[in-house]
Amino acid sequence: MAVQCWLDALKSAKKTALLHDGKRKVHYLFVDGKEMAEEYDLKTDELIVRKWRRKNTLGALGQWEIEVGDPATMAISEPHPIMESSSNPVLMRKDTKTSFQWRVRNLPYPKEVYSVSVETVERCCIIRTTNKKYYKKFSIPDLDRCQLPLESSALTFSHANNTLIISYQKPKQILTLEQDLLRELKKMKGSGDGDVDCKTQ
Amino acid sequence: MAAQMATTKVPEVRDITRIERIGAHSHIRGLGLDDALEPRQVSQGMVGQLASRRAAGLILEMIKDGHIAGRAVLIAGQPGTGKTAIAMGIAQSLGPDTPFTALAGSEIFSLEMSKTEALSQAFRKAIGVRIKEETEIIEGEVVEIQIDRPATGTGTKVGKLTLKTTEMETIYDLGSKMIESLSKERVQAGDVITIDKATGKITKLGRSFTRARDYDAMGAQTQFVQCPEGELQKRKEVVHTVSLHEIDVINSRTQGFLALFSGDTGEIKSEVREQINAKVSEWREEGKAEIIPGVLFIDEVHMLDIECFSFLNRALESDLSPVLIMATNRGITRIRGTNYQSPHGIPLDMLDRLLIIATSPYTEKETRQILKIRCEEEDVELSEEAHTVLTRIGLETSLRYAIQLISTAGLVCRKRRGTEVQVEDIKRVYSLFLDESRSSQYMKEYQDSFLFNEAQGTQMETS
Repeated sequence: MAVQCWLDALKSAKKTALLHDGKRKVHYLFVDGKEMAEEYDLKTDELIVRKWRRKNTLGALGQWEIEVGDPATMAISEPHPIMESSSNPVLMRKDTKTSFQWRVRNLPYPKEVYSVSVETVERCCIIRTTNKKYYKKFSIPDLDRCQLPLESSALTFSHANNTLIISYQKPKQILTLEQDLLRELKKMKGSGDGDVDCKTQ
Repeated sequence: MAAQMATTKVPEVRDITRIERIGAHSHIRGLGLDDALEPRQVSQGMVGQLASRRAAGLILEMIKDGHIAGRAVLIAGQPGTGKTAIAMGIAQSLGPDTPFTALAGSEIFSLEMSKTEALSQAFRKAIGVRIKEETEIIEGEVVEIQIDRPATGTGTKVGKLTLKTTEMETIYDLGSKMIESLSKERVQAGDVITIDKATGKITKLGRSFTRARDYDAMGAQTQFVQCPEGELQKRKEVVHTVSLHEIDVINSRTQGFLALFSGDTGEIKSEVREQINAKVSEWREEGKAEIIPGVLFIDEVHMLDIECFSFLNRALESDLSPVLIMATNRGITRIRGTNYQSPHGIPLDMLDRLLIIATSPYTEKETRQILKIRCEEEDVELSEEAHTVLTRIGLETSLRYAIQLISTAGLVCRKRRGTEVQVEDIKRVYSLFLDESRSSQYMKEYQDSFLFNEAQGTQMETS
């Protein structure tokens, strides 16, 4: 089963963990050379950040791509010639225990404007606005990795404080998977504060 | 408010296209051959040297075919007979997509790198790999461009660009580089453009259909396109050419935080190269990549020593080898690093692998023609008599010296507020600057009064 595949991939990946700043930081190096880094809150065990990095076709290391967490925390290394203005809507994912959650900030329009739909064939969700100001297509990588179907009934959204919040109820398989993983991570000897040797690097 | 007024009043006077500096071979735009590879007498900045240009044309065809690897060509001739010009002509006709690496023979002698490493790097720089890569692009219709210039006229400009698709709209902040290229491309509201996020390259796709009814003055070639759909940022596959050396460098960098401490790549391990070769041939078999053998041009090849030549002998046999073009102005001379004499200072076994193109001194007519082309390139007007005098100088001293006189005479002429360089101006600079033969004449006469004249017996070791 696909859920099992992903769990096995996680188990076979080289992992390094450390506790720092009240967070449990885990670095995974997969067999195919991809890297994943996760940060969990120590108290609540919530996932704060999950990011990916992989090599491009020529073998150069790419930038970290954020899957979960606030993209603004990534320091911008150099002034880019073209950047989205800070007044634009930004999408970030911030999960809760029971659901995947996305927040789009800087969306001042009333709630009627938005519509969020699930495209089961394309395996993605689409945010549309009737005033044609915002449009976003995003996938749920967790479900893709486990090859679970997307269901429109699991999706809800609300709007408050210029923010659109979209929630997708986590399926049962994902919930058990995440619990398994967390148990596994807690078993790992998370070294305390300070520098540690990162075996995976 | 006053500042606002001032901003709007500053006229756009600064020219955005940069003025290119004029180099010794910047007038050369190709080999000057017609479709049947017959050389034209004067074309694309090339004059005369018909036989050698025709030969170079055949080599060019071979390079373009790309089937034959590891051939070597030697361009031999006296100084100032257009050897480097022919090599530049080949480079120009190959276009930007075929790698052309030029280096001087003395460049490979460095303390940081062994000679053979420098040569293998040069070899690998001359092999291109065309490969597909995913890049992020922004594609949309321009709604508005807003550029604020500081009131003082200097300082960084800031700008905003609003783009839309049929579904959404986004405002982008622009850096000064982006503003410059936007105004260079004359992007205006209603244009549909794509911007490569990594490189910042802008491509104009056309004008949006919604603007088709604007009564703007439009050229006949204006294309109308649909406003793009969906998201503004897309991932697209683009094909581009990288050299094998660049792939080597990417893969030989120390990974992780250690990469911070190793700026220079230095020597590349042979394991890395083997790994890359294997990977590239794998890509080629899968149809993901295409190999483009380019050209490695080594000027002043007599500066290479015997070890380099033996390395070249071996390297040319590899199937991942570019076409090697060498140039020399030496006759029979000592091979560097040995006591043997050999034609062009190149060992005989190496010479045996070469196709040799000879260049011959220019005739009077050709010299005249070259001087004329250089005058145009350097933007100097020459009177008929001055031209004749300069041609004589070119024939009696050297072509290079005559070319040097063009811009200096031009300056003298400008100082006396003349428009056309006259014989007087040429005479003036001719008396001001010595040519090589007059200078050595002077040396002979006044040698006794120069410093260190007692060391006259020993000659300088040059080769």
